[in-house]
Amino acid sequence: MSLTPARCLILACGNTLRRDDGVGPWLAAWAENRFRAEAQVRVLSRQQWTPELTEEIAYAGSVLFIDCSVDSAPGSVRLTSVQPATGDQGLATHHLGASELLALGRELYNSLPFHAQLLTIGAASTALGETFSTEVTAALPHACHLIEDTVLHELSRPELSQSA
Amino acid sequence: MSQTITIDPVTRLEGHGKITIQLNDQGEVENAHFHVTQVRGFEKFSEGRPFYEMPSLMARICGICPVSHLLASAKACEAIMSVRIPHTAAQLRRILNLAQMVQSHALSFFYLASPDLLLGMESDPKTRNIFGVVAAKPELGRAGVALRRFGQHTIELLANKRIHPGWVVPGGVTEPLAPAKRDEILAMLPEAHANLSMALAAYKQIAASFKPEAEVFANFPSNYLGMINEDEKIAFTDGKLRLIDPKGNILEDDITASRYTEVIGEAVEDYSYTKFVYYKPLGYPTGTYRVGPLARLNIVKSMGTQLADKELAEFKQLATGPVESSFYYHHARLVEMLYGLEKIEELLSDPLILDKHVRATAGVNRLEGAGVAEAPRGTLMHNYKVDEDGKIVWANLVIATGQNNTAMNEGVLQAAKHYVKDGKFTEGVLNRIEAVIRTFDPCLSCSTHAFGQMPLVLTLLSANREVVDQVIR
Repeated sequence: MSLTPARCLILACGNTLRRDDGVGPWLAAWAENRFRAEAQVRVLSRQQWTPELTEEIAYAGSVLFIDCSVDSAPGSVRLTSVQPATGDQGLATHHLGASELLALGRELYNSLPFHAQLLTIGAASTALGETFSTEVTAALPHACHLIEDTVLHELSRPELSQSA
Repeated sequence: MSQTITIDPVTRLEGHGKITIQLNDQGEVENAHFHVTQVRGFEKFSEGRPFYEMPSLMARICGICPVSHLLASAKACEAIMSVRIPHTAAQLRRILNLAQMVQSHALSFFYLASPDLLLGMESDPKTRNIFGVVAAKPELGRAGVALRRFGQHTIELLANKRIHPGWVVPGGVTEPLAPAKRDEILAMLPEAHANLSMALAAYKQIAASFKPEAEVFANFPSNYLGMINEDEKIAFTDGKLRLIDPKGNILEDDITASRYTEVIGEAVEDYSYTKFVYYKPLGYPTGTYRVGPLARLNIVKSMGTQLADKELAEFKQLATGPVESSFYYHHARLVEMLYGLEKIEELLSDPLILDKHVRATAGVNRLEGAGVAEAPRGTLMHNYKVDEDGKIVWANLVIATGQNNTAMNEGVLQAAKHYVKDGKFTEGVLNRIEAVIRTFDPCLSCSTHAFGQMPLVLTLLSANREVVDQVIR
């Protein structure tokens, strides 16, 4: 791997032209600014998650995925643990979920981050537009707080990555 | 009672598509069509926009080959401006286009085609995907992922974004290349070469076992169109187009972007939103032709780089004239990727690549402009008309997938006639028919300028056009 593995990798997903779908990139920008001085934290924001991200994920100490959710109540913020997907399901090549990325990284590089979590923010609207709904706007402070707590907690752990 | 088979959606493609196979009363394949079932209409909604917005607007047509649209569009705008862009800007754009070609071909070969090639056409469809490839051949899986990342990261280093960068603008590019970025791209090249060597070796090892497929995967004579430079070597960004006939004779040469309407026509069929492009002097459908890696390698006598030229010579051993089977698009893609890596290194090694003068400026000096570039899937043309204020009043895009449309349809028919017997088909047969389409690596989003995901449907219809069977993936 050409890059030094991140102690804590933040990987956001979303389209900034589809209202609340852009909350992932917004939070990534916030995290980038908040942890600017912290060399062990790397922040990536993508419109879609694709297989090219798997190497960086596989070798990271921990990964915090950030995405909006159309299945959750608008404005609800959830932080859940993510496990690698089982490999028998169909796989799109344009977009992978957090579980699929972990599984592909494990298969390719025989490595998994020690912790993988997914932070989601329930979307009220994914229509065309560059402004968040009132529900998502109201949820931003809580989401930022959770990201901060999670990253600081991960940085306080001994640096670990597990072989698959 | 005749029947129709529908494959809907066709999988591992860029966009939505459907295949319909019509059977006669004897259960024999009578006809087959590849339908592109989406529509978007970029040409229409760009009307009224300022011409200088067009590259960024048009790049949104596709997330895989936005660079090609950026380039063809910028060149059309530069024809309207009547400017010649600075040398360094032209060279930087060439690198960008080659990087896109590498990442797009890596996507096509490793993610979309290799499940068929490495696991087998009849392998379990549940694992016939990139996960299956990774499990069976992890080193090739890693090579594919790394090659795609190389292309995307090079695009990001040059243009600041992997997808839909705004760096290419009418007149050149927005900023010069920094030395550190040049060095980073150069440092990635040895690993990319090693991965590509592995892929080429793996392909050559298995290619012979697919000779039965190569015999019926759109294996027929056709015309071929592609871009060459002034030395008659392959070109992707700047050059003129050459059209050759099935025997390799030149039908039309020095086709410039401004002259394409003289020689290129577009036909419409009621079963697809993608147009059918043809060479006007021969008419439709006689004048249809193929574009993309197979066509480009059939047209050129030299790639212009050492390793790729060796591979080209080996490729040309496949036939005495042009290589006819579309199965060999896969092989051609690997040769082009090798060329891309070599050429990127050559272009970056020129000290002038760091020159700061990378943009020319001008206003509206002509009311019409056309631009052409080679997209990974084949030749791409953009043509705009503007009013005195530079607002778009008309736009037309001729896309690679439209130029391959007739060949794809004929290829589906050829494979269906060979594989579908007595009105019966297996999953492996359906996969082979889909695989014919995948050899072309069509971009249905580009061809209809449409937005969407990638499913495809296969339907079997009876003689009275009732649906007898259908596979939806």
